Amino acid sequence: MWILIRWIKLNSYPLFALILFGFSVNQVLRYHIYQHSFYFKSSTAFFRTIDQWKSNVTEFVNLKQENIALRNENISLRNQLSLNSYKYNSYRDTQYFDSLNAKFPNLKTAYSYITTKVIRNSTNSPDNFFYINHGTLQGITPGMAVISPSGVVGVILDCTDNFSRGMSLLNSKFEITPYIPDLDLRQGVLKWDGSNSNHAELLEVNRTETIKKGMKILTSNYSSIFPPNIPIGTIEYINPETKSHYHEVRVKLATDFSRLNNVYCIKYHFKNELDSLNMSGNINPNNND
Amino acid sequence: MIEFIKLFLIGLVLAFLQSFIIQEVDMGFWMRPMPYLMLFLILPINTNKYAQLIIAFVFGTFIDLLSGSFGTHAASCIFMVFFKNLIDSRFIDLDSIQLQGENYINVDTKGQLFFTYYTFSLIFIHHFVFFALDFFEWVRFLRILGTTIVSTVGSYLLILLFKSIFRR
Repeated sequence: MWILIRWIKLNSYPLFALILFGFSVNQVLRYHIYQHSFYFKSSTAFFRTIDQWKSNVTEFVNLKQENIALRNENISLRNQLSLNSYKYNSYRDTQYFDSLNAKFPNLKTAYSYITTKVIRNSTNSPDNFFYINHGTLQGITPGMAVISPSGVVGVILDCTDNFSRGMSLLNSKFEITPYIPDLDLRQGVLKWDGSNSNHAELLEVNRTETIKKGMKILTSNYSSIFPPNIPIGTIEYINPETKSHYHEVRVKLATDFSRLNNVYCIKYHFKNELDSLNMSGNINPNNND
Repeated sequence: MIEFIKLFLIGLVLAFLQSFIIQEVDMGFWMRPMPYLMLFLILPINTNKYAQLIIAFVFGTFIDLLSGSFGTHAASCIFMVFFKNLIDSRFIDLDSIQLQGENYINVDTKGQLFFTYYTFSLIFIHHFVFFALDFFEWVRFLRILGTTIVSTVGSYLLILLFKSIFRR
C-alpha cells in the first residue's frame, strides 16, 4: 500500500495530466457523433475479441466439468432409449388396453445405466480384468454388463463398497452370442483368442451363412446381461480354406481396450426373473449370455 | 495580480479571436491555424506546473464551448502543456532566465533558432493531437500529418504577429 502511495506521489504530475487529458477525450467521445460511433464500434469489436479469448480459455479449463456433464447427459439419454424398455402388452387387444391407467404402464425399464471410470486395466495376459471406481454403494452388482461408448467391454465379477472388478472381453472365459444385423443372424460364439487385444474370433457359424467382410457384429437380444444392438466389432477376415463345417472368422473389436476410460455399467432389471426360469428348466448357462 | 489580469484579458481576446474570427475564415483545407496557443507560451516560467495544466484545461474547455468542439481543444492543450513542462525542465535553466529578467521564453532567451524549434515543436504537438482527435482515423494519418504541418506554420506566423501586437 505504501509502495503504491509513494508511486502515486512520485508520478503525480503525469497522472494529473493523464486524468485531465482523459476527461477531455471523454468529452470528445461523448459529444462528437462520428468519434462516438467510431469508438463504440471499435471498442465493441475489441471487447468481443477479448470475450472470445476468455471464452476459449474458460472452455479449456472447464473441459473436465463439461466432460462430466456430457457423460451424465449421455447416461440420462441412454436410460430414455426405447430399446431399454419392453412393451408388455404389445399383443394385447387394443379394446382392453387402457393407456391412461398409471397402475399398468405400457413400458417398463429393462436396462439402466451407471457411468463410471476404469482405474486399472490389463490387455496382455490370457485372462484380462479391469477395475472401476464404483462399487456396491454406487449401485454396482456382480453380473452387470460393462460397455464403453464404442462397444462391449465385459462383465462385473466382484464388488467392494467403492470398487469393482470386471472380466474383460479379452478373457479366455468370456463368451458372447453375436448378432449380425445384415443377415439377421443370431448364431455362434464370440471369444477372444488371446493373441491380439484388437481382435477376437467368431466361432460356430455355419458355412451355409453368407457372412462377408465388413459386416457389423452386435449384441443379440438372447443375452441376459447385455442390451441388444451394442457394437462388438466388425468382421475383418474370413478364412476361405477352412475344412470345418463352421466359418473361421476374425473380428475387429469395436472397443479399443488400450484406451479404456469412461464406461457404463448396465443393470438388467429382469435378470433374476430370467435366471430363475433358466434354473427351473435345468439350463446351466456357463457362458456369459 | 496585474500580470494575472493581463494574462486573463489576453486569454479572453485570443479565445474570442480564435472562435469568432480565425475559425470562421476559410483559409483552405489544410490550413487551420490556432494562435491562441500564444497564451501558454507567454505564461510566466515560474508558474506551478499543476496550475499550468489546470489553466490549459479551463482555457481549452472555454474555446471548446465557444466553438462547439467538445473536448478537442482541451485535450490538445493539456498535452501541449504537459510536454512544455517536460521540455522546460530538461532543456531550459529557469533560474538563469529569471536572472536575465525574462518572464517567459522568447527570442532573446536562447536565440532565434532555439525559439523557433521550441515554439514550432510545441505547436506541432498540440496540432497533431488536435487533428488526430478531430479526424479520429489512423487511415487518414497522412492527411492528419499534412494538416498539422501546414497549420503549425500558420499558427507560428500568427503567434509571431500577435506577440508583436500585444507587446506594443
